[in-house]
Amino acid sequence: MKTIYLDHAAATLLDPAVLRQMQPYLTDQFYNPSATYLMAKKVRSDVEEARTRVAKVLAARPREIIFTAGATEANNIAIHGVMAKFPQAKVLVSAIEHDSVLEIAQQYNHALVPVDNFGQVQLDELKKQLTPDVVLVSVMYANNEIGTIQNLTAISKIIAEVKAERQKNKNPLPLYFHSDGAQAPNLLPLLVKNYGLDMLSLNGGKIYGPKQSGVLYVATGIELEPLIYGGGQEFGLRSGTENVAGIIGFSFALEKAAKKRAAEAKRLSALQHIFTQGLSSHVPTATITTQSGALHNVVHITISGIDNERVMMELDEAGIMCAVGSACSASSDEPSHVLTAIGLSDEQAQTSLRFTMGRSTTEANITRVINVLARLVN
Amino acid sequence: MKNTKVYVGLSGGVDSSVTAALLKEQGYDVTGVYMKNWSQDLPGMPCPWKEDYQDAKRVAVQLGIPFKMYDFQKEYRGKVVDYMLAEYKAGRTPNPDVMCNQEVKFKVFLEACLDDGADMIATGHYARVKPLERRTTSSQSPVLTCRTDSYDSLHASTAPCIASGPKTSEKEYGLFRAKDDNKDQTYFLYRVTEDALKHTLFPLGNYTKPEVRTLAAKFNLVTATKKESMGICFVGKVGIKDFLIHELGPQQSGEVINQDGVVVGTHEGAIFYTIGQRHGLDIGGGLPYYVIGKDMTKNQVRVTTDINDENLWTNTLTLSDIHWINQTPKSGDHVQVRTRHRAPLVDATLDISEGTTTLTLKDDIRAATPGQSTVIYSSKAVLGGGIVI
Repeated sequence: MKTIYLDHAAATLLDPAVLRQMQPYLTDQFYNPSATYLMAKKVRSDVEEARTRVAKVLAARPREIIFTAGATEANNIAIHGVMAKFPQAKVLVSAIEHDSVLEIAQQYNHALVPVDNFGQVQLDELKKQLTPDVVLVSVMYANNEIGTIQNLTAISKIIAEVKAERQKNKNPLPLYFHSDGAQAPNLLPLLVKNYGLDMLSLNGGKIYGPKQSGVLYVATGIELEPLIYGGGQEFGLRSGTENVAGIIGFSFALEKAAKKRAAEAKRLSALQHIFTQGLSSHVPTATITTQSGALHNVVHITISGIDNERVMMELDEAGIMCAVGSACSASSDEPSHVLTAIGLSDEQAQTSLRFTMGRSTTEANITRVINVLARLVN
Repeated sequence: MKNTKVYVGLSGGVDSSVTAALLKEQGYDVTGVYMKNWSQDLPGMPCPWKEDYQDAKRVAVQLGIPFKMYDFQKEYRGKVVDYMLAEYKAGRTPNPDVMCNQEVKFKVFLEACLDDGADMIATGHYARVKPLERRTTSSQSPVLTCRTDSYDSLHASTAPCIASGPKTSEKEYGLFRAKDDNKDQTYFLYRVTEDALKHTLFPLGNYTKPEVRTLAAKFNLVTATKKESMGICFVGKVGIKDFLIHELGPQQSGEVINQDGVVVGTHEGAIFYTIGQRHGLDIGGGLPYYVIGKDMTKNQVRVTTDINDENLWTNTLTLSDIHWINQTPKSGDHVQVRTRHRAPLVDATLDISEGTTTLTLKDDIRAATPGQSTVIYSSKAVLGGGIVI
């Protein structure tokens, strides 16, 4: 059976071209980049080239790129890094952040910034919550469940105003802006300066690169407390011998994602339209959660009356892989905090399904999914 | 069979999956039900219930049958776990699986299914239920036999009870050993009532385990290659000690005394030791030790190195909490018994007098552990059994 994969927000195929770039470092070029013989120095220079490659995509300096083991680690380094330096201060995070942001924020003095029914951070609420003790704001670029893209420029403008105010009031506490960009690179520009970002987390496993590879961009001048101590690699922020193959793979994957970005955004936007139109006409009980203007590869829906886990399994038996939008009622898990934050009831959340498209997705795939789904739920 | 609604207990294991598939194939109106009896993680033992639940649900999806979950955690805790803990505290070694079948699967589960509109329930146990024929011969008590015309095929063996309509049937139903002697699970089922058996199908009773594996592969079930589970995690041998510590707290260490009354070592808590057990005593060197007794008030464990010690062997068993599935047999009846799951059957003579039930065995057996069940058979039929005093 030919399968249709629609869970790209969870994991992406490792691009064969990226794998080819990685391969030498898994075998012959195994040297520790910190060693001083020539073979090792060559590996070091390849790592630095990868750093430059990443920096170019972000329009940042190579020194601002920290290689990590994925976005979870990058988010942890960012939030712990600031909060451990300012333990009396507070971190604000949006209510729809990924667990890797929420869980680390909960270790410190923190508050959640509410979102509206479309998942957009409520800017007036953010302003209110930006009290003089806030040192860090973390708002994800694009949401992994419902695809909402945040207005980072507007948020950074508010942050800039607060910073100016603090200067006037002689409040010496800095105020940083971090964003989890794990879902962004395939479809959105990453020009950190344009968004006034101080930190940005990225993940190789979502951009057709290797899992357990990632980056934290840290703007020049920001000092972070490390989370991992040791040999002082990655400018002391992430000790441990470099995952060279992962670093090389990440850099080429990110470069390729940036190159394909405009065309993919256009192509997937068209497919997203076909998908939502098809659902409206063939699955009348479906309600589309994903708003226009959201990430072009996400189609999140609720279908009243269904057991989402069962439908997900039935789709799987038909060769279609997707995600349940939220834990089902039988498990004792809480419903998705993202869906709760946008105002869905527990019952609605338990009828949700998430389809996330990618490079392999075709119009024929979407037609088939709609037909199968219509057969299953109508 | 289209009109017979059967609720199958799907555990997420291969046996119950094949049970549901066979019934579906035979044309029953099948619903799968996952019983959520336990979900608590224990230190070092994350509870796999969610995976099992998802596997059960996936099997229901693969078979195209409705799926439900019944939450019996309260009942399981109250009737099985609390009983088990009380028994251990009293120095005995209980059978939680026997209690689970008696109180949960063939009581609350059965009742919930019937309330929900089921005509019958089915589980993946290796055992057989058959209508009985009463054959009264001269001085003998009634002998239970299954109908020979319907002995070896699942269809035929279940057909009579379906054809006559289970709810109105005046027939009596008996419990019989499975075709696969190696897998036979009647030891755990002897406390099930006749009324429950009347509403129960055991489709695997006529199959061997290897045949069931083959069927699972044939039906292409997701559970086909799944490893054998021990049921609830802490019931397995590995987990019980940790579970007891978790529930009852750390135990006092105490003296281990040998057959001559000499202290030969210390133990970590008398509740952990099972009479007849050879392992688990941290006493260095020499011959292996066997546990022959426990004094819970003095917190002492008595052991012997003498494999012929009279405390290790017995030819009589005295039982309490007797349960007979059908009519009560008579004193003097010749029966077969086993004191452990899968233990060989031993010939015995039954003596029922003044409320006590005693079995005189033809051969000596290793002393039965207080708290364990002794199950009494007449050839293939399960008559009942009781708890070893």
